[in-house]
Amino acid sequence: MTKSGLAIVGIAEVPTRRDPERQRWDILLDVCMGAIRDAGIDKNLIGAVISNNPMAQPSMQNDMSLGKIPEVMGLKGCRDIAICNAGGASTTNCLRLAEQHIASGQVDYVLIPHTTVQSDMPPQDLINFFATAPLDKQFEYPYGVSFNGSMGLITQRYMYETGATEEELASVTVALRAWGALDPLSIFYGKTVTLDDVMNSRLISTPLKAKECNLLADGGGAMVVTSWEKARELGDKAVYKLGHGTRFMSATPMLREDVFHRQAYRESSRDALSQAGLSIHDMDLRQIYGAYPYTQCSALEGYGVCEDGQGAKLWAEGRCGPGGDLPCTTMGDATGRGHTGSGVSMAFYLDSVRQLRGEAGDRQVDQCEHAILTTSGGSVMNTCTTVFGRKPR
Amino acid sequence: MSDYKKPLPEIQPYSQPFWDGTKKGLLLIQHCNACDANIFYPRRDCPECWSQDLGWIKASGRATVYTYSVTYEGVEQKFVEDLPIILAWIDLPEGIRMHTNLVECQPEDVAIGMEVEVVFRSITEDITLPFFRPV
Repeated sequence: MTKSGLAIVGIAEVPTRRDPERQRWDILLDVCMGAIRDAGIDKNLIGAVISNNPMAQPSMQNDMSLGKIPEVMGLKGCRDIAICNAGGASTTNCLRLAEQHIASGQVDYVLIPHTTVQSDMPPQDLINFFATAPLDKQFEYPYGVSFNGSMGLITQRYMYETGATEEELASVTVALRAWGALDPLSIFYGKTVTLDDVMNSRLISTPLKAKECNLLADGGGAMVVTSWEKARELGDKAVYKLGHGTRFMSATPMLREDVFHRQAYRESSRDALSQAGLSIHDMDLRQIYGAYPYTQCSALEGYGVCEDGQGAKLWAEGRCGPGGDLPCTTMGDATGRGHTGSGVSMAFYLDSVRQLRGEAGDRQVDQCEHAILTTSGGSVMNTCTTVFGRKPR
Repeated sequence: MSDYKKPLPEIQPYSQPFWDGTKKGLLLIQHCNACDANIFYPRRDCPECWSQDLGWIKASGRATVYTYSVTYEGVEQKFVEDLPIILAWIDLPEGIRMHTNLVECQPEDVAIGMEVEVVFRSITEDITLPFFRPV
């Protein structure tokens, strides 16, 4: 039996910015049309629209859940509409559902969109959202914990257990911002930071400093996915999903035994790599969506790129940033690109496609044939790891 | 009427004894009479064995700091007057980990592994929150 699977054949993204003048529906239409044009297919071949649920955007959630996209865009071949919500991992769920639709033979092409505008929302509302949605409202929230506070707690323990220094962790942000500075789609395009800039930025929730925390921003992206067979007909632009693995840990951070998610990174990547028939050493690019610097370290440990506790050293030695021999997270993560709510994971997939196509501009990883990508949702409740390649297997 | 403006814990029927306990100066931990598990946070059913034969044990009130983080900014307005807030996860000898604030100490005095003990603060007529302070 010939193996088949999912392929991404069209992508589009708007630059991440804070611009309340840029409307949610304008972003949405631009990226949906862009992705379909990029795929080079007729709009009426889209058989389903599976949307990434935009967190804290209630009117868009309604529009996207209840079928406005195919109606507004005149997608006359659309047979199904769905929305997936797993916080930051929503895009991953969209891809998994799309793969099932395509494998069932019901549809050939699925459109997966995302849009979010946060710049027109009061900052206090956003702090409240991120403090209450993924944290426990009985035993965490009454103690004044913010999302940054929760991640500060984990980071402090990570330093204690691994011996990683604040400077080593700050070097993660320096590298992520260096990728972002090379990326026209990043809110930090052209804006690098030095180690001193990070270390001297305001203390938010120790050991986290302002530049290590996420800047909430607006953005959007979309992709068109299909089967390997259809993708081959479309030529070189396709990027193929070769393997996938996932692990769930806990909704509430304080209950997480695998506190740095190292074991979850280990097991989900092992499953994904084994399906792909590849090893971590075959990967040319590692894309880690964790939104806070320690995840960029513990993921490398879980993947088996280095020993447990050594992840921060790789970043401090400059090996994961531009010019390094282990390029990681060229997308910049939320720290280096801006946090677009549930859209961060969308941008991770899109950037991986660009890298595998050789379209990543100044950030292009040499001979990028294979990429491993992990997304997470909620308060890092899970790790969803996928291996992509330039060729099907 | 209380003038307490910060969020109150969202109490559920099966966690009510925990909050009745804190009002009386007791730190109670939910306990499964069927499989002997200590459960935190309180549930309707034991997450280990799904028994509904759940009771409560009295915790010693001692704990050690598993990790901490001092928050200087980025909280909702209602918490601003409390800054800096020392967040902590503490490990109880009863085998559970709780989120709390460390009180009656300065940020520079806090360390992972430090011994702490419970201290109760009444915040409204109905609610008493457990905090922890250095021993």
